[in-house]
Amino acid sequence: MRNQLTRFTGSFALGAAALLLGAQTVLANENKAPEPPAPTADRGLAIKARKALTVPLEGQQFIDNAVLLVKDGKIEAIGPAATTPIPLGYEVMDVGDQWLMPGMIDLHSHIAGTFDINDTVYLTNPGLRAHASVIPENPSLQRAVAGGVTTILFIPGSGSNMGGWGVLLKTGHDKYEEMQIRNPGSLKLAQAGNPESFLFGVGRSFMNWNTRNTFERGVAYAKRWEAFDQGQGPKPDRDLQFDIMNSLYKHETQVSTHTQIYQVVNATLTTVAEELKLPVYIDHGTFDGHRAAPRAMELGVSAILGPRSVDIPTAGFVRWSGSNPEKIGGVAAGYQEHGMEMIGFNTDAPVIPEEELSLQAAMGVRYGFKYDQLQTVRGLTIIPAVTAGIDGRVGSLEVGKDADVLIVTGDPADPRTSIEGVLIDGEKVYDPHENRRRW
Amino acid sequence: MRFSNTIGAAFAAVALFAATPAAKAALLSPQDEESSDESGEEGFGEDDGPETHYFAVRGADVYTGTGEVLRGATVLAKNGRIKAIGYDVEIPGLDFQADVPSKERGYTAEVLDAAGYRVYPGMVAIESSGLLGTGGDYRDSIDPFDQNMILGLSTGITSTGQSNAACKLKRYISQDPPVPYDFDGIVLRDDCYANFSWGSGSARRSVREKLVRASEYLREYRQWQIDVKNDKELKEPSKKGVDNSVLDVLQGNVLAKFRADSREDLLGIARIAQEFGFRPAIDGCREGWTVAAELGRAGAFAIVTPRERRDKSEMLVREGGSSIENAAILYAAGVQVAIKPASRGISLGGITGRDIMHLPVEVGFAIRGGLPEDAAIAAVTTVPARMMGVSHRVGTLEVGKDCDLIVTDGDLLHYQTFVQWTVIDGQVVYDKQDELYFAHIRPRAETEVAPLRRLDAGENEEAAEEGDSEADGDDDKDKQNGKDEEE
Repeated sequence: MRNQLTRFTGSFALGAAALLLGAQTVLANENKAPEPPAPTADRGLAIKARKALTVPLEGQQFIDNAVLLVKDGKIEAIGPAATTPIPLGYEVMDVGDQWLMPGMIDLHSHIAGTFDINDTVYLTNPGLRAHASVIPENPSLQRAVAGGVTTILFIPGSGSNMGGWGVLLKTGHDKYEEMQIRNPGSLKLAQAGNPESFLFGVGRSFMNWNTRNTFERGVAYAKRWEAFDQGQGPKPDRDLQFDIMNSLYKHETQVSTHTQIYQVVNATLTTVAEELKLPVYIDHGTFDGHRAAPRAMELGVSAILGPRSVDIPTAGFVRWSGSNPEKIGGVAAGYQEHGMEMIGFNTDAPVIPEEELSLQAAMGVRYGFKYDQLQTVRGLTIIPAVTAGIDGRVGSLEVGKDADVLIVTGDPADPRTSIEGVLIDGEKVYDPHENRRRW
Repeated sequence: MRFSNTIGAAFAAVALFAATPAAKAALLSPQDEESSDESGEEGFGEDDGPETHYFAVRGADVYTGTGEVLRGATVLAKNGRIKAIGYDVEIPGLDFQADVPSKERGYTAEVLDAAGYRVYPGMVAIESSGLLGTGGDYRDSIDPFDQNMILGLSTGITSTGQSNAACKLKRYISQDPPVPYDFDGIVLRDDCYANFSWGSGSARRSVREKLVRASEYLREYRQWQIDVKNDKELKEPSKKGVDNSVLDVLQGNVLAKFRADSREDLLGIARIAQEFGFRPAIDGCREGWTVAAELGRAGAFAIVTPRERRDKSEMLVREGGSSIENAAILYAAGVQVAIKPASRGISLGGITGRDIMHLPVEVGFAIRGGLPEDAAIAAVTTVPARMMGVSHRVGTLEVGKDCDLIVTDGDLLHYQTFVQWTVIDGQVVYDKQDELYFAHIRPRAETEVAPLRRLDAGENEEAAEEGDSEADGDDDKDKQNGKDEEE
């Protein structure tokens, strides 16, 4: 906690202008009551709010007149004010009529560092690692924090069939070690579209063969290591290209798949989920991809949708995707109509700026996605968390999880709603009233 | 078309003159016009020629754009102009003449039952691309059947700036017997701005030179106007080298439009505007929030895109770069703010929320930055109308203005809200259920209020209001059925 305090003052020194602004605040504070003692390791934080959108995977999705206790960066307790006593000595933050919600999660982002994450050395590059490009606190990440996006999957681009390792990061910390949630966060698989422009041009039969071939060899590699670990075989030679297959084979990470159009989404499901039984999710899933939703549900595959949110019947796209030429179809609505529950949203930042993740859910609703059960909020938090297998730490306001908390003025999907505070791991990383409003 | 209308109006006026003594009084004193309307109510049909068309929306909550909200009120238009807004407005053809076949009434009337819906003035896009056809000058590109025009109407845009003109999105509606398309009717005003370039030193020098020349000429001309009374022979000062558009700017006929973002450019524009006494319209204005007071003093108009970004210069210590609070800060300093989206055209690529079809979304982001909601709606209605010099016809719902309005199924600025009907000049030109684009999304009968707000039911005022309008929603379904029968 002491470290966090230093860091917070440190950020003031970033620019003289900010310092000047800060000086004003300090002057104003001098007339008020004396500063409370600096927080110590054993002192917690209590946040009182009109409503908390807790959005656990199952059960009651919100609490009215909520109290949230934060201790050591984790959620210590959350419940109605009437039944959740605030321990003596806790710093109390009353946010009045504003709401609390978990930090938002974007499973498709390219903005955590330099943009050299599309090294199309081979057609499949499962060994490349995006984490080498990360620059903490870069301007895009700072805006992401201000937009309430606290966790991102920073992934390679889709220039080749396999771009390499993605990494799951917290957006608001100043050191890489503090940012990292899991590495590998995913293996980026890209099908059709972009990779087809690789080298001389690659068609879909080769693409599918190549993907399958790489995975088969990778699974064989992982099995050799498994055998060795169980003392049943010789020690295999380490192959950097296939390192990630060990994690995939043990279901410790997932394949995040750039896949859209029914034909291609279906191929993803067949190859990766059904035949190879590797953990995988649909990323993009757009155009008429929703036609594969029933099969995806059978195989337990989630859909993280975006950056497109509608399928518009223009002549070119009709030919390409075979979609319905008679209406403007909502992508998320399409999956929902098929009964899919695991629907999340992505930005493909910078295609859509990271801070506009919540607008992606709003656009889903505009074009027919029903949100009577807080599906928008869930699709921005718990659904991507479960999809990426990090719901033990983030994605909902539940006891024991990281205290990644947003203070919002209302419906999080509404562009008019502003974010009045962001906590990551219990640390106040954004306060528009102390620094300038960034978003 | 316009010509024949004028003749029609003249005949109508003659008929009016002959018909009632009250009408005589109206001709004598213009401010009595309203009372003549009232006394004329009984005589619907008497003063109306066969070309007279009435249009009414009734039962909706009317957001006039002037600050008033009239719940469950009626807007009545006659021949495309608003004749009355309020309660107990008698709609011709509905009550006492209900039994008279429409052919014998001497006028036509159309009524839209919109209880449970909201009526707003049609939006005025300060700028757009391709809504009237392929873009560029409307004279060359206008396509009254264009898909983009329909999508613009589906957004609730009824007027737009196109190049230097202000135009209406007048779609061609088939009629029986067919009527020719009124090309003249689309133009509200032809030359709305004088465009000034401020991008380089030489451009700035040129602007100053033109202003100096034009203001000198104006002074000489005024002096001549006085002197010529004594000396009839005195020659009128030469207009040689004087830019007519700059004269228009100095005389307040048009706005001087600049494209500028940086603090230095904005300060320069504010200074020159005050020096020569004209009001600048500044497109972009991204660092406007850092010099808002200066822009406010200069009486500036700003066209902003709240989400547009500009990085702060690393070399500068002071505030700079874009800010989500830009529109709010400018507004608070007295700058008139119009909002345009990041993309001026209609995007059909599948990415939503950034093009002209999502103008209310862009407005939403200005509110996020602190702009009050009424100022936000003004930023896409009254302010752009004022900037283009067409606010006497569009931008608000007021008696005498054009009947350009939209009927929505909720708060215009909520992301779920769809425009259900768009009306231009008292004619329904867009009906959501009649077009293939959005008819399948929340079909009209199923329209609900935003469920998220319902979570609060009974616990705060806002929720209680929502609850009420929900009840209206049910009511409105019945009304809706009635409407269908009428059609």
